[in-house]
Amino acid sequence: MGTPNLLQGTLDLLILHSLQRGPLHGYAIAQTIHLLSDEVLKVEEGSLYPALYRLELDGAIKAKWGQSENNRRAKYYEITPKGRKALAAQGETWARLSGAVQRVLAR
Amino acid sequence: MRRLFLKLVRRRNLHRDLEAEMEFHREMASVHGNAVPLGRISSLKEQSADLWRFAFLENLWRDIVYGVRGLRKNPALVFGAAVSLTLGIGANLALFSLAVEFLLSEPSVRDAHSVMSLRLGGNSNASHQVFEFLQASGIFADLVGDEPESFVNWNDGSETRPIFATFVTKNYFTSLGIPIAYGRGIEPRDSDEVVVFDYRFWRKNFNGDPDLIGRAINLEGKAYIVVGVLPASFRSLQGFGYSPDVYVPRYLDDTTLQMYARLKPGMTRDQTLPALRAVAARIDSVFPAPYKYTANISVRPLTTIEGMIDDPQGLTIGLFFALLLVVAGLVLLIACINVASLLLARASARRREIAVRLSLGAGRGRLLQQLLVESLLLCILGTGGGLILARAITASLERLQLPIPIPIHLRIDLDWRAAIYAAILTVAATVACGLLPAWQATKESIAPSLVRDRKMRLRRALVTGQVALSLVVLASGFLFLRNLFRASQISPGFDLRHTIRARVNLPAREYKEFKQVDSYARRGVRELEAMPGVDSAAAAFILPFNDNIMFVSAIKFPNAAEQQFVRYHWNVVTPDYFRAMGIPLLKGRSFLATDREGAKVVIVNRAFAESYLGGREPIGCIFTQGGFGGKMGVPLRIVGVVEGTKNETLGEGDLPQMYQPISQIENGDRRKLEFVVRSAIPPLEQLGAVRETLRRVEPNAGLEVSTLYSSIGFAILPSQVGAVLMGAIGLLGLVLASVGLYGIMAYSIARRTQEIGIRMALGAGRSAISKMVLGDAARLVLTGSAIGLAIAWFATQPLARFLVPGLKPGDPLGFVVVIAVLAATGLVASWGPLRRALSIDPASSLRYE
Repeated sequence: MGTPNLLQGTLDLLILHSLQRGPLHGYAIAQTIHLLSDEVLKVEEGSLYPALYRLELDGAIKAKWGQSENNRRAKYYEITPKGRKALAAQGETWARLSGAVQRVLAR
Repeated sequence: MRRLFLKLVRRRNLHRDLEAEMEFHREMASVHGNAVPLGRISSLKEQSADLWRFAFLENLWRDIVYGVRGLRKNPALVFGAAVSLTLGIGANLALFSLAVEFLLSEPSVRDAHSVMSLRLGGNSNASHQVFEFLQASGIFADLVGDEPESFVNWNDGSETRPIFATFVTKNYFTSLGIPIAYGRGIEPRDSDEVVVFDYRFWRKNFNGDPDLIGRAINLEGKAYIVVGVLPASFRSLQGFGYSPDVYVPRYLDDTTLQMYARLKPGMTRDQTLPALRAVAARIDSVFPAPYKYTANISVRPLTTIEGMIDDPQGLTIGLFFALLLVVAGLVLLIACINVASLLLARASARRREIAVRLSLGAGRGRLLQQLLVESLLLCILGTGGGLILARAITASLERLQLPIPIPIHLRIDLDWRAAIYAAILTVAATVACGLLPAWQATKESIAPSLVRDRKMRLRRALVTGQVALSLVVLASGFLFLRNLFRASQISPGFDLRHTIRARVNLPAREYKEFKQVDSYARRGVRELEAMPGVDSAAAAFILPFNDNIMFVSAIKFPNAAEQQFVRYHWNVVTPDYFRAMGIPLLKGRSFLATDREGAKVVIVNRAFAESYLGGREPIGCIFTQGGFGGKMGVPLRIVGVVEGTKNETLGEGDLPQMYQPISQIENGDRRKLEFVVRSAIPPLEQLGAVRETLRRVEPNAGLEVSTLYSSIGFAILPSQVGAVLMGAIGLLGLVLASVGLYGIMAYSIARRTQEIGIRMALGAGRSAISKMVLGDAARLVLTGSAIGLAIAWFATQPLARFLVPGLKPGDPLGFVVVIAVLAATGLVASWGPLRRALSIDPASSLRYE
């Protein structure tokens, strides 16, 4: 099932986060994550699309076809209320977890 | 739900969507000057799509299509596997259906689970007065009665002959809800002269003429109206395939009845028992009888499996079928190993294909699934063939006319239970055939040299395992074949063909003293001997297989210091007993009418004389017999030695027996006697006359007359049927195992052709090569045999219960023969391929790879 460079589940979190400000297509999502992470994280499409499809199935995001900025047909993803809830819950978990890891490494 | 809905709606466009989305992604990436993702698009598509499609089902379908295509290119493999599995699964299904018929079948009545068989006072039958009393008590929803083992005389216009009849109470058909194929059943408002036909009887004697309904036939000299015909699939209440020719209302007042009660709705049999006991107590006070009706009350369900708890014979039958199914399962396992080794061979031929697919990113699980689907296809093919084979076997079993004078017709259905069993077998066989080869195949590309080594070891383990399994199955099969051979030669020790037995139950109120019983016996014998066509007649306390009296006591010889304990079957007989039964007198004389006053005499059998007399000359030998109290009885003198008879089972050994003359018995409390009549004309024709004669001698006695054969036929039949079944399954195991051994040997040698070529190129002689290859084969067979021998030694121990005397499960001859058969198979299997390998030019065999 692919080999994500990110910790399992983290990608979902990042996707949901990047969709918070409005609908984006797949490529834009990848770019957003790339830029927001100061170009540290690079999302492979091999990980991205399966994750998007999974999230859509779970009902965390919705997809619809629309016009892109360069007038091409593109599939836009939009976060749903359910997705927001999941984001809040997972974000908190992530914060706790990463804080904990940092505390461990700091000593 | 939502997911399912989404999947259903979107799956059509999925591929197109995904492709468009990818396309867009690439375009954007190239516009922005980022790296365009390459390759793996298809695998990505598969991954994303997997989520959205009914991935499992669709993959399965694709695997099936692929599997069918692959197998079609390999007809030899398909044929070999299908034949092996057809034989294995077919045998299992047939046996399973047979077991279901014997153990689980229900009589053809409405709601069979609420119908119970009743016994009061331990008696199978009750008088009609008792029946009516019980019926009037109202503790059951319904009570019906029948007398299944009776005859009526049927005049077909040219001659009169007895046919098998079941006498029934008139509410029998309506209360039990018995299905009828044509016409109707007997109804309570009918006259006494109506008859319902068994389907086969109707087909055989009236060509299945439906116009017969409403017409009359001549039974017992009266016109009986035919009211109906039972369906072909009818199962009688007696079970075990017993199918009497006709059902007629009970017409004789003294016909005793077997009773069947339908429980009231919601009642269990335990809840009914107290009420039944209370009624039985009232019956005791109203109808004085030689026995208490309240004693030994039993209420039993009609199916064998439910009745098994109360019935040791049922338990033996159940155990036997369990054993049979286990052995049949082993045979199937052997068949599966055959298929597994075929698949293993195929897997190594497909090594490259599988390696390529693995390296292209196919998941190991997916590949495993696909290979398993292939073996599933083979197993479904085998199950299909197996169903046809099982149907053919059961159909021929149904047609089988058993060599006994009782109408027994088995009705074996391949019903929903068989279908479930078939499904279970298919899955089990799929796993047994496919898992190992598939597992092995998908490990292929990881570390080739390592795997190849492991694979050779695996294949050798398979051969060894198969040899071991074969040995177990062969040993049991061979044991039963020998058993069959021996059993066919076993005689019960008395004549079954010319003898009639009559069981008499004397009214205890009139026969207060045993002297009266003795004089009745003499009178009865005299009257029977006076009948035309009677060679000799005798009376006895018991007849073998029907009852037995076992004694353990101390005996003492006059000049011996110690008394010794003996154990023997005891019987009391009239002088002509041995002649009437056809038991050979070996020495001395039979009893005489004059053995009355004076010294007491006994006749013993050969086993008694050999085990207990300590080498004394039997004739004239005197001993005293007594109880454990130490007080010895009067002296007994042996006047004759007879050949032994079997007492309870055909399989038992020669047990000591002792006979005493009825005229020298004092204070006996026995009121039951057996008459045995040796007839010069066929016994069946003599039954009515014997019944008449004995009824005349004592009109008040309960009487039951049948051929001796039919009264013990049931005792002998199981061992014969068992031997045939086990022998057949053993033979099937032998064939499958031999084929498998041959195939696996031939294959492993063929694989070593190259190695042999190298060795020969390096100068190894032919004899050295032969020795090496054959030695290798021998090692496999010997290892397998050793393991199998150890298992078989223990596994066959439970078979002892079914074997005739002189044959033990650990019989060395059996093991020797079986190992010899396996070794010969191994040798033959190695020989052909070895010769081919040796004749190959070393250089060309090297170039071959």
